[in-house]
Amino acid sequence: MNRLPATPTQKIDHDRRIRFVFAGRQLEGLKADTVASALWAAGVRTWSRSFEYHRPRGLYDLEGEGASGLVSIDGVPNRSAGTTLLERGMTIAAQNVSGSPDRDVYGALDRFDRWMPAGFYYRLFHRPYRAWPFFQDRMRALAGLGRLDVDARHDPGVRTEWYMNADVAVVGGGAAGMSAALAAAEHVDRVCLFEARPWLGGHLDWRVREVGGRPLRERAIELARQVAGHSSIRVLTHAPVTGVWGENLVTGFQVGPRGDGGATEGYDERHWECRAHTIVVATGALERPLVFEANDRPGVMQVDTAWRLARHYGVRPGEQIVFSTADDLALEAAADLADLGVQIVAVADARPEGLDGELAARLRDLGVELMPGSAAAAVGGRRGVTGVEIAPLEGGQARSFPCDVVVAAAGRQPEIGVLSSAGAGFEYSAHAAAFVPKSLPDGVFPAGRVLGLTDVEAIEASGVVAGLNAATACGALARSGSGDGESRDADERALGSAIRDAEGRLAGLPGPAAGSGHVRGPMTGKGRKAFLDYDEDGTWKNAAQCVEQGFDVPELAKRFGNFGLGPGQYRVPGQNLAMAMAELTGRPVGDIQCTTVRPPLIPPSLATLVGPGHDVHKRTPLHEDQTARGAIFRQAGAWKRARYFSDDFSCREEIRNVRENVGLLDSSPLGKFRVFGPDALRALQRVYISNMTAVGEGRCKYAAMCNDTGNIIDDGVVTRVGRDDFYFTTSSNRAGGTVEWFRYHTRYDGWDYNLVNLTDNLASINIAGPNARAVLSRVTDSDLSGGAFPYMGYREIQVGDSIPARCLRLGFVGELSYELHFLASYAQHVWDLLMDAGAEFGIGPFGLEAQNCMRAEKGHIIIGTESEQRVTLLDIGMGWMWDRSDTESRKVGAPALRACADQTDRLKLVGLRLDDTAGRKSPEGPADGALVTAREEILGYVCTTRYSESLGWRYALALVRDGRAERGTSVELFQDLGDGPRRFAAMVVPPHFYDPDGARLRG
Amino acid sequence: MTFRITCPVCGSRDVYEFTYGGHERGPRPAQEGLSAEEHFRWAQFRTTRAEAQEEWWYHGAGCGVWFSMWRNPATNREERPEPVDARGTGPTTEGDGE
Repeated sequence: MNRLPATPTQKIDHDRRIRFVFAGRQLEGLKADTVASALWAAGVRTWSRSFEYHRPRGLYDLEGEGASGLVSIDGVPNRSAGTTLLERGMTIAAQNVSGSPDRDVYGALDRFDRWMPAGFYYRLFHRPYRAWPFFQDRMRALAGLGRLDVDARHDPGVRTEWYMNADVAVVGGGAAGMSAALAAAEHVDRVCLFEARPWLGGHLDWRVREVGGRPLRERAIELARQVAGHSSIRVLTHAPVTGVWGENLVTGFQVGPRGDGGATEGYDERHWECRAHTIVVATGALERPLVFEANDRPGVMQVDTAWRLARHYGVRPGEQIVFSTADDLALEAAADLADLGVQIVAVADARPEGLDGELAARLRDLGVELMPGSAAAAVGGRRGVTGVEIAPLEGGQARSFPCDVVVAAAGRQPEIGVLSSAGAGFEYSAHAAAFVPKSLPDGVFPAGRVLGLTDVEAIEASGVVAGLNAATACGALARSGSGDGESRDADERALGSAIRDAEGRLAGLPGPAAGSGHVRGPMTGKGRKAFLDYDEDGTWKNAAQCVEQGFDVPELAKRFGNFGLGPGQYRVPGQNLAMAMAELTGRPVGDIQCTTVRPPLIPPSLATLVGPGHDVHKRTPLHEDQTARGAIFRQAGAWKRARYFSDDFSCREEIRNVRENVGLLDSSPLGKFRVFGPDALRALQRVYISNMTAVGEGRCKYAAMCNDTGNIIDDGVVTRVGRDDFYFTTSSNRAGGTVEWFRYHTRYDGWDYNLVNLTDNLASINIAGPNARAVLSRVTDSDLSGGAFPYMGYREIQVGDSIPARCLRLGFVGELSYELHFLASYAQHVWDLLMDAGAEFGIGPFGLEAQNCMRAEKGHIIIGTESEQRVTLLDIGMGWMWDRSDTESRKVGAPALRACADQTDRLKLVGLRLDDTAGRKSPEGPADGALVTAREEILGYVCTTRYSESLGWRYALALVRDGRAERGTSVELFQDLGDGPRRFAAMVVPPHFYDPDGARLRG
Repeated sequence: MTFRITCPVCGSRDVYEFTYGGHERGPRPAQEGLSAEEHFRWAQFRTTRAEAQEEWWYHGAGCGVWFSMWRNPATNREERPEPVDARGTGPTTEGDGE
């Protein structure tokens, strides 16, 4: 392997080899390698093909700046090779490749760029318009990045989430960010520091240049040690920020240490959110690419890529390297690489003067040819770099240098992503040749290289200033000190003078260095293959075409020419695009704005966004009992409910036992409320559409609530348990919204009432069937006879020796039945009493599906199943509940019901009886949701349909257009579940199929 | 989108804890003589102005109180408008009572 000797800056472990597979070949990397460094060390040069021209791409950056570095790992596409740590046994595949990465079938597309000008798919292929579907299919087959194997089972590992609060959030763990965190942490208690790389230190981490008598990396180590040891600073490394949202919510993800399968609980990746009072943004600088012919060849790379390959990963970037760069940091890199024994052939610097004298001298001492005022014009080589042409920018003879790596950059650009997503504005600094922050949102403080600073001491000092300002702005002054005025004043003075000192120190240090405003090298042609944006193959020529077509500002060129629409967003084309537009239109750069940056700044994986997938649900107090009885549970609203008690999902036996004998249902999720106080009745009158003054002593009243459009939103029963004291039930799904609803609709009235949600406090068991009375009478002494306790009656009874229960005699399933409500802690005991008492009858549990079949047979609706937003109380045939005479209460829904009472052509609830031949022998039929049609016209749809053993035929409850489906007419049910269209004949009947007179439930 | 809301009972909390109840449009009109159009104008119509407005919020994940407050939907900041006159018809902050 092509590795340099070990140095202290390296992250890799030379003794721990990691085997992996790339494009079918067995390769080896080292522990702490990224995929990119391991591939490059193994001699791989191409690991993706470009989006449009299928040009070979590979190592350009190590920061995940674009599509060039994306690979597919273990079947997961679009993983960034530069930032993903290598792991044992990884199978890595090149992306956007047909054939092999080196010999790509579509590589020939590269020669057809004449036919693919900027915006070509907007301008071609749509005439004649009939041709578009043909081209669309072909282009779709070519387009897209990465291929997802939809059949593959992918184990997402452990994905967790973390929600933090902070006084100050610091984005960026370099010198500025760490200084800011330390300064802020002296005044506030909660500082969170987020760093995208797996370690702190920023660009000082690998620099061995001595400033003030010691290597820069020692300063980074010192700062990192202080940060890690500070009790008020929480550090998250390997934690890229994805965006800043309203009122300083910072979001991101963190690549985790995996658990060891034992005591250490690890994670693969976690989503985090940090709500901060203030934010310090110290995101540093990116490289601004230099545009020249074939600047995308594998072998052309960023300064920091070559530098970090050598310093972090001990990989020799190339055998012969030529630099074409434009700042002192690049000169330092060239000298440092030369010191490490890497051959630097020549260094071209776009700046004609102003080069760091010490570094220039050092390079000359090392025998490196230094060419100020020059830059790369083109590189040679088809799959890799074989040489580069360097020419003076002001005109002159080009010179060719054979080499295998060209380190190229036009300068540095502040990494504005986080600032921009926080809402900052930017302006072009002609001196720094970069866009720097101009306007800042409240509570956001930039520091370091994002301000354009280049001097290391100034970077640190700016961090101190930002950290102190952030602490002040988040209220450090208000909270510091013991609370008495004198010491607070002293603290205030101390912080104020600390800020003044820090600002004074910063003012005495060098500001941003002069930058080179060049975007292009001294190219001779039109820039056909000189790329501004690698992701979408956006060339200089394409940019010129955008301008010709009138798309002459970055925001327009971005849409028309696709600059910055790829995964890299603003990074590679970012500031270059604005500067190129200025050059192409002859305007000053200062008149042009960069494109807006949008989150996610770094794409998190979908599995991380999906998160841990907690199964969040409530369990009834009888959950264990129901489980032991073989219940099959389904999520119903917030609850896990027993839906079936056998794997016969038609629930034949459960239904038969209730219809002929007796069954028990755990109905605990039912919404249960107490409302009491002098104005309780007025509140009920407001939200219920029914007349609530008519709730009789010892009686249940079935009542409904509507919304302001007259839709029924809830139904249940109400009982009066005292003078101004009512108890009522709501449907299970509605329980959570009931308090909010009552209070909303009485919010102006100042009424004196209290509403208590007892849903979770009370259990509920429904005993139903002809033998219900016989069973219940064995566990209570109360008189249950029909005369003493009639249908729709309510009694307070005692169950067993001592359990008080509220007993409601209802009939949702259409049989004699009692609902017992009592303290949840008694649930198991009451259930056992009833099961024991019913044993001789053959009592058994029934589930939600059996209840659903029986209530539908009876024609009892479920809100949301037989009702929807187009359907009012009147439409489902329940208008009798509406107390029309009461206008005084201003009932919610009453004006709407009045307004639509006479409307026609509305959806109405009807019953359907399916043709016996379709139903009798086989219970097969349409599913819920099938369309109701007549002569190919859609009249409505089926809400619930089942085959009924009790009836001997299949019924359906359906919503059908008014006036189109009178009783006795024939309609057709239509459905296509993907297995071809099917039709079923049906006849409209009244929607009460079973025991329409109610004899059974009154019995 | 995310911002914070100041609950009069619980203080400044994440907007996720609240339910929006629409802008302030006065109590439920009397039903006597109310036309359908008047009713639906009151019940359904929402103003959409990029300026401070009085709004109703419910702190469902906290105290369970409906309260009204002034907020600018263009900036998501709590913000009172300039006083219109000297009569002190200022915004209300309490949840109960008209």
